[in-house]
Amino acid sequence: MNRKFLLSVIVLMTIVLTMSFAGGQGEQASGEPQAQSQIVIYNSYMSDPAPRKADAELVQRFQDQNPGVQVIHSTVAHEDFKQAIRAYLTSSTPPDVMTWFAGNRARFFIDKGLIMDISDVWQNQGWNDSFPKGFRALSTVDGKQYFLPATWYWWAVYYSKSTFAKYNIDVPRTWDEFLAVCDKLKANGVTPITIGTKYRWTAAAWFDYLNMRVNGPEFHINLMLGKEHYNDPRVLKVFTDYWAPLINKGYFIKDPASYAWAEAIPFMTNGQAGMYLMGDFIRDSFPKEKLDDLGFFRFPIIDPGVPVGEDAPTDGYFIAADSVHPELAKTLLAYFGSAEAQEYMAQELGRLVTNRKVPNSIFNENQKKGMELIDGADYVAQFYDRDTTPEMADRGMNGFMEFWSDPSKAKAILDRLEATRAELFTE
Amino acid sequence: MNKVRIQAQLTPYLFLAIPVVIYLIWVIGPMIYSFYLSLTRWDGFSAPAFTGLANFRRLFADPVFYTSLVNNLEWVLVFMTIPIVLGLFIAMGLNRDIPGSKVFKACFFAPMVLSLVVCGLVWSWLYNPAFGLINGFLRAVGLENLQRGWLSDPKIVMESVIAVAVWRQVGYVMVLYLAGLQSVDQNLVDAAEVDGANSVQRFFNVILPQLAPVTVVVVVISIIDSLRAFDLVSVMTRGGPFNSSSVLANFMYIEAFNNYRMGYGAAIAVILFMISLVFIVFYLQRVAREETRG
Repeated sequence: MNRKFLLSVIVLMTIVLTMSFAGGQGEQASGEPQAQSQIVIYNSYMSDPAPRKADAELVQRFQDQNPGVQVIHSTVAHEDFKQAIRAYLTSSTPPDVMTWFAGNRARFFIDKGLIMDISDVWQNQGWNDSFPKGFRALSTVDGKQYFLPATWYWWAVYYSKSTFAKYNIDVPRTWDEFLAVCDKLKANGVTPITIGTKYRWTAAAWFDYLNMRVNGPEFHINLMLGKEHYNDPRVLKVFTDYWAPLINKGYFIKDPASYAWAEAIPFMTNGQAGMYLMGDFIRDSFPKEKLDDLGFFRFPIIDPGVPVGEDAPTDGYFIAADSVHPELAKTLLAYFGSAEAQEYMAQELGRLVTNRKVPNSIFNENQKKGMELIDGADYVAQFYDRDTTPEMADRGMNGFMEFWSDPSKAKAILDRLEATRAELFTE
Repeated sequence: MNKVRIQAQLTPYLFLAIPVVIYLIWVIGPMIYSFYLSLTRWDGFSAPAFTGLANFRRLFADPVFYTSLVNNLEWVLVFMTIPIVLGLFIAMGLNRDIPGSKVFKACFFAPMVLSLVVCGLVWSWLYNPAFGLINGFLRAVGLENLQRGWLSDPKIVMESVIAVAVWRQVGYVMVLYLAGLQSVDQNLVDAAEVDGANSVQRFFNVILPQLAPVTVVVVVISIIDSLRAFDLVSVMTRGGPFNSSSVLANFMYIEAFNNYRMGYGAAIAVILFMISLVFIVFYLQRVAREETRG
C-alpha cells in the first residue's frame, strides 16, 4: 500500500517535470514559424492620453494594411518604461520593436550590442535620402544605422496669452525683460512660473537653458559628457546669479515637488500662474478648449555674445538585437518611418517629424514657429537626462531639487556633483 | 515490517523534497547570487566584474545610504509605538458587544484591504497642496498657516508617508489583538475585579501579560514591515525630494534599476538583509521555543 503510493507519487512527479520541460521546448519550437508569419511585439512608452491614442491608431492602420499580422502592443507608463527597458532588452524573447530616445541613451544600448543593425531598412526605405543628415547621424554608429528617429519637439517658455494680455505684457526676449515680466505678474498676484518637479526632469530643463544661455552650448555639452567640472565657477554662477534669484523671489509656484509635470498645468489655465518652461508635448495635456490661449517664446537670451542652444529631443524606435520576429519587426519599423505614419503623427499630435517626404504644408502655425525656433539655434541639445549618463542625471537632478529647497547650498551641492562626475566618468 | 518503517520515515522527506527544491532554486539561489553580485560591478548586461568590497566602501561613504537608514529606523520606531498602542486601544474598545462594534471593526480594518499602491495614490491626492483635501480643510477652518507641501517639504515628507502606513497598520494590529483577546481568560479578569483591581490595574496586570504572545508577533511583524517598506515611498515620492524620503529598499531599487548599478544595489540588499536577519532570527527562536513548549 505504502510502496504503491510512494511509487505513484514519484511517477506523477516525473510526468509533471518532463511535461513542463517538454512544454517549454515545444512552445519555443512551435512558436517560431508561426510567430514569423503572424505576430510582432511592440512595447511603447506613449502613455499620456493623446499620444497613446495616436499610437494605437498607427498600430491599427499597420494591421489593416498587413492582413494576418497581429501586433501585440503594450503601452507602459513613461517613467516605468525607462526603468523596465533593461529587463526587456536582456530577456530571452524581448519585445521586437520599442520606443526610445535618440542620441546618447540609444547609443548606450547600441554599444552593448542590444539594438539591431537596421541599415537595410534605411537603405530599402530610401531614408538615407529622405531624412535630414542630422537625424541620420543621430542614428548611426560606425557607419551603420540602428535607430529610427521619428518625431521631435522643441522646448520653449509657454505662456497664457490671456494672462499676458490682461496685464499688458509683451513677450520678453532678453533676461532683463523676462525678469520685468516676472515682477509685473508677481505684483499683480500671479505667480510668474508654474512647474511640477515631482519627477525632477522639469527642473533639469531650467539648468539646461540657464547653463546654455550663460556659458554657451559647447560648455554645456562638454559638462554633460564629463569633460567639464561641476564645481567650475561658471556653473556656480548659473546657480547663484540666475537660478537662485528666481526661487528666492518666489517666481515659481509653491511646493513644485508635489506635482507631476502635467499636474502643474492647471495653475496656468486658471490664471494663477503665467508661464511654464516645457516641451511642446505640453499641448497633449493642455485642456483642448484653452489651447488657443497657449503661446510660446524662445527662452530669453542672457548674453547676446553666446551662441544660442536649444533643447529639441528626438524620439523614435528601434528593434531589439535578439528580436524573435526580425522580419515583421522591420516591416513595422518601416511603417513607423513612412511618410504616411509620420504625417499622421504630425497632424494628430502636432509633433515635428523627420521624414522630409512629409509635405511642409501640413504643419500648422505652431509647428512652423517651432521649426523656426530650432532653425535659429546654433546648437541643438537633446535634454539633460539624455545628454549625460543615467546615473549622473539621477544625481544631478537630485542636486537640482536640493538646491531648489535651499538655494544657499549651491556650492556644497556642486562640489558633491563634481565628486560624482569624477567617479562616474573615470570608471 | 522493517522495510515499511523505513519507507514511512522516508515519506515526509520525499514530500519535503519538492518544496525544498523550489525554495532552493527560487529563494536561496538568488540570495547567494545577490551576495556574489554585491562584490561586483555590473550594469545588467556585460559580465559582472569582481571588485571585492568596493561597493560596500562606497556605500558606507554615501550620504544617501545614511538618510535611507535613518528613515528606515524612524519607520521602525513609529511602527513599534503608534499603531501598536492605537490598535490595542481600539481592540479593547471594540471587544465588547456594543451596538455597531462590527461596523467599526470593519471600518478600521478596511484600509488593510487596499493595496499599498492604491493607498499611496489616494493619499497623494489628499496631500496635494493646492487641490488636496487636507490643505483644503485647513483653509476652510481658517488654519491657513498649518498648510504644508506635505510631500514636497523635505522636513516632513518622511512623516507624511509614514502616516499613511500607520493609517493602514492600525487596523491590522487591531485585528491581531482582537484575536488575542479571545484567548484571554475571563475568569482571571473577573477574579481580579472581585479582588478590587480597577480597570487600569486589570488591563496592565491581568490582560496585557496574557496578550504577550500576540504582542511579540505584532512587534516582529511591524519591524519587518517597516524594513521592507517600499511601495508607499515608490508611489508617493520615489524617495524625493532629493532622497529626503528614501528608504533602503527604494534606494536599492533606484540604484539597481534606474542607475543600472546592479552590484551597488545588491550591496544595499545585503545590508538590508543583515538588518532584517537580526529580527527574523529573534522571531524564529521565539516561535521555536513556543512550539516546543506547546
